[in-house]
Parts: sequence; C-alpha cells; structure tokens
Amino acid sequence: MNKNKIDEKLQKTAKGLLESKAVNVVIGWTKGSNPFRMRPVFITKPEDVNKLYFNPHCVQDLAVFLKKPEVKKFGRTGIVVKGCDEKALNTLIQEYQVLRDELKIIGVECMGVIRQNIADKGESNLLETTVYDKCLICDVHTPLIYDYLVESDIPEIKISGSVKPYAKIKELDSMLVEGRDKFWQKEFDKCIKCYACRQVCPLCYCSRCIVEKNMPQWIDTNIEETGNAQWNMIRAYHLSGRCIGCGECERACPVNIPLMLINEKMARDIYEKFGYRSGIDINSKPVFGTFSESDFNEFIK
Amino acid sequence: MEEKYFEITLENIKKFVNSLIENNNYEIIAPKKTGEDTFYEKINSFDEANLDILLPKLSFKENLLPKTESLFSYSLSGAGIVIDNPLENEEREAKKKIIFGARPCDAAAGPIMEKVFNWDYKDEFFNIKFKNLHIISIACGKPDNYCFCTEMQLSPESSYGSDILLKKSGNGYYVTVVTEKGMDIINPFLDMFKDMFKEISKEKIPPAGKWKASYDIKKTHSFLDNNFEHQYFQEKFLSCIGCGICTFTCPTCHCFDIQDEGTLKGGRRIRNWDSCQFGIFTLHTSGHNPRVTQGDRYRQRLMHKFKIYNEKFNKYLCVGCGRCSRNCPEDINLKEITKELASL
Repeated sequence: MNKNKIDEKLQKTAKGLLESKAVNVVIGWTKGSNPFRMRPVFITKPEDVNKLYFNPHCVQDLAVFLKKPEVKKFGRTGIVVKGCDEKALNTLIQEYQVLRDELKIIGVECMGVIRQNIADKGESNLLETTVYDKCLICDVHTPLIYDYLVESDIPEIKISGSVKPYAKIKELDSMLVEGRDKFWQKEFDKCIKCYACRQVCPLCYCSRCIVEKNMPQWIDTNIEETGNAQWNMIRAYHLSGRCIGCGECERACPVNIPLMLINEKMARDIYEKFGYRSGIDINSKPVFGTFSESDFNEFIK
Repeated sequence: MEEKYFEITLENIKKFVNSLIENNNYEIIAPKKTGEDTFYEKINSFDEANLDILLPKLSFKENLLPKTESLFSYSLSGAGIVIDNPLENEEREAKKKIIFGARPCDAAAGPIMEKVFNWDYKDEFFNIKFKNLHIISIACGKPDNYCFCTEMQLSPESSYGSDILLKKSGNGYYVTVVTEKGMDIINPFLDMFKDMFKEISKEKIPPAGKWKASYDIKKTHSFLDNNFEHQYFQEKFLSCIGCGICTFTCPTCHCFDIQDEGTLKGGRRIRNWDSCQFGIFTLHTSGHNPRVTQGDRYRQRLMHKFKIYNEKFNKYLCVGCGRCSRNCPEDINLKEITKELASL
C-alpha cells in the first residue's frame, strides 16, 4: 500500500501510545464506503493502527465520541483531531466533561475538509469552492493543544475572496424582523426532529436533553411549526458561547437547515458583547459560567 | 388486475403530467431540486420535476405517515367539550395524491408498511392515505454502491408497490399499468387523447436486466437468528452516535410516539415520528433501559428489518434504497453490514 508521510506518522504515533499502554483506545478515521468518504474507527490493538488515515475527506468531529458511555468505558483515550475539533476538546475540558490528563491528543494539521455532498459526486480537490465555510475562516490549521502533532504537506488553499463564507448572515442582519422570521420559519419547517444536530455535536452532552423532559413539557413534541421552532431555538441558545464551529450539525442535517448561520451569528455576538471566543483557552471560564459587573447588560430593562 | 402495456413519447408524458396537475384531481408530488439536493415535493409543472437523479434525499414516507399527525383534538366550549375526529374529515377531504417519478424501491415501501398497519389493529389514518396515494414509478437504470434492492428480493425495475411503472424507451417510456388505481389515472386520457398512450404487447418491452444479488439475505437472517449476543454489534456500532437519520430517512421505518399537547382551552393527541435509535425509546419509567448501548439499538434495527418482520410477513422491512447509509454522518453502511453478517 502506498503510504504517505501523514498516515505514516499518524499510525506510528498511535502504535506507540497503544504499545506503551498510555491509552486503551485511539479514535481516528479510516476508509469509508467509497474513496471520498472516511469514517470513525476505534483502534485498541497496536497491530490495527494501519487502518488509520487522514485526508481532506475526514469530515467528522471525533470529539463527539467522548460523551458516549460505551467509549468512556475505555478509560484513557487517544484521539485524532483537526484544529476545529480540538477546540471542542478544549471546551469539554473547560466544562469538566473530560480530564486533560486522561486524553492523548494527536493533532493533525488540516488545510480544510471537502464538503461531503460535493465529495459524494467525486470531488477530491481542496479548493476555495469545495471546502466548508468554516475552513475559509479557519485560524487553527494547527491545533491549539496537542500531545503529538502530525504535520501536513498539503498546501494552503488559495483564497481569492470569490467565496464569501457565511455571507447570508450579513444579508439576514440587514433584514427586518419579519423577513428573518419568514426565512427561519421556512428552514425550520423542513426539520424532521431526527436530532442528528444534537447527537453529532461534541458539546451536546446532556444525558437527558431538554426535549426529553416532560414534567413539564418544555419543548412541544410536534414536528410542526411550534415544535420545530422551539427545538431549533433551544439548541441554538444552549450552544451560544460554547459552539466551536465544527459545523457537524449542519453537515449531518438530512434536510439541509443552514444551522451554521445561527451558530456563527451567536459566536460573533458573544465575541462582540463579551470579548469571548469558545474553545481557545482551557484555563478561562466559560462565558456563561461567570459573571462580571462590567458584562454587557443592556438587554435587562 | 391483468397488467396493461403502453408506449408514450417524452412530449406526451409531459402533456400527461401537466394535464394531471391542471385537472386538479390529484396533488402531484415528484423529485424536485431544492437548494443543493432533491426531495419529493409538490410540483406545479412537469418541468419542476428532477428525474435525472438516482434518488431524492428523503423518501415520500411523509405522505403515508406524516411527521406529526393529529389523532383527535378537543376544545372547551362553555361547560362542554367539543371533540374533533380527523378521520371523519379526512375521509371527506383527503385529496388523491400521485407520486410521479418515484423509484421502484420507494414504491415497494408502501405495501411493506401497509402490512404493519393492518395485521392486528386496522390503522385508518394510514389506510386512508395509502388508498389515496398513487405511485407512478420510473425504473432505475444505474443503482449506486449504496443500493441493494436486488438483495432485498426487489430490483431496479420491479413493479411491486407501483400503480404504473415507466421504463425509458428510445423516445419516451414504456408504460406498465399494474393496478386498477393506475388504470383510473390514465383512463380519462385514453378517451381524450387517442394517440397519447399507444397500447402494445408485453413482448415489445425489453426484458428486465439480469440483476444479481451480491449476497444472500437469508444468511443475514440466519446469523441474526443465532447470534443475539454477538460482539459484532457492540464493536461495529461504537461509531453510531444515535441520531435518528437512518430511521427517519428510511422509507419503511414506521415507529411513532403518541403525545398529548394542549392549553387550558383545548388540545390534541398526536403521533410523531420516533426512532429505535434513541436511548429514550425504550427507557422505562423505573429508570431501567433494556437497550443499554448503541450496539443494542442498532441490533434492534437489524433484527426488526431482517428477522422479525420477515418471520411475520415473509418479506424484509427494507427496500435496499441505501438512504440510511448515504445520510449517516458517521458512514455506517447497511449494505456492507448485511453483507458482512451474511458471511459471518
């Protein structure tokens, strides 16, 4: 098999960790259904590390598995992360969901991942027009924190500026409330409440989600106007100041609701009002976990 | 009914569909491009239909089992209560629908679901919709790697569940009318436009391609029969995140959850789509959950589709459309799994 340097280093690092019993499992990506799809893999034996690969089709944020009880049972875990995924680890550490010492972070340098719906049609070129919007505004090609780093020889994407990431946010901001309402109503109308946006989110880790609480019934159960709007809004609120923008919710959504417009807008508002960016500093306190008298509070009247 | 065969030109099929829309006796639903993907949606002219794709992203299940369906509603009026039974209205108002350009796999899902909704309790909510839903499907030319209808005892050209099956010809379609419901759709056209549907003999339609199954689904069934506790399920589905995409985009998954909602003035009882992939699906009031892991839950999905349903109805609760695999965020591939199980 033709091995490239990235995969070689990745596999060697994982092998070392498993052989020395520093970790009991390494979560990474392996080959999927076709050459343009990768899938998560859980390696527990050193001899299986040659299943690990990294390329621009590794779209999944593997940090999501750290919340899963079956995965927690492994104990000490090695995890392969891109820069964006690693920010999820930071937030999980900040929120006491994961212990830094229990994790071995294998960071991979990433120049962007290809949008899955385009990849499914056979696209494998890393271009401004083929990657997710998050990749175009990415400033963590190299993960912020790592125990091991797998450098990349993939060149950076040439950005001409022809693709405006999250351009719709500006357009929505300039609309009247009624226009925005109409836009989102139409989008939420598509929702089938499969809750993939929640399940695929590394930061949606509540063992019992608010939609599952029925005494009282906080969120309407129906999959119609009221229930869909309530669900999508509560999801957005619970992630504001926390979402690290990995975009998994939007990627997973089977009916293509542009959830990242909401997440990115929330992130921008939080930065503007509180000067806080999530997933950057494991020693800082979560923005909604702290109170300061100087906090923006004009909305309290 | 004995099948009838016709030929129709491309120009005429367009005229046919547009007349159906104009006559307004049916609501016409077809694959329609919306944003970057195609979904089954109402069309207002033939040109809105996108027939060049393999499959719409979701099935048309919603037309048989809505995402949310009112079973009854009530309102308080003075000291009394007024109860509204939608069945009484629905029978009267239910508009006939035609799914135009369905694929044979999606068409097959109708009768497969119908068995579940009638084996014991007769579900009138489902039955009215099923009766009013007409399927004009188009045979598939080229299944992709996720497709496995052939393994599910169907084929890209099978007419099971279709009222009318179209097959591409040189300059149009060969038409096989399978059911009375199908005949009802085209009968008015036979009278009105003499040359629109040209009756032909069966022999004129090229025989179906030799579609071969790549593995024997009976072997999958027999593995499931004997290996409930097999480690395969726990290992394979470590990567399952427990979202409901596979079940919600599945044309045959039909589980629902009955809920009440209301205010001081009134309310309703509804049924919503539900999924066996959710942990809460089997959570008991006591706190005990018989399906602890995601492996347990995905095993249930396999058991239901390839064992339990088969033992009751002698078919599989799967049409092999591959949507669960294409839409899975973690690339869990049902064709690959059923194949692997067949060889274990």
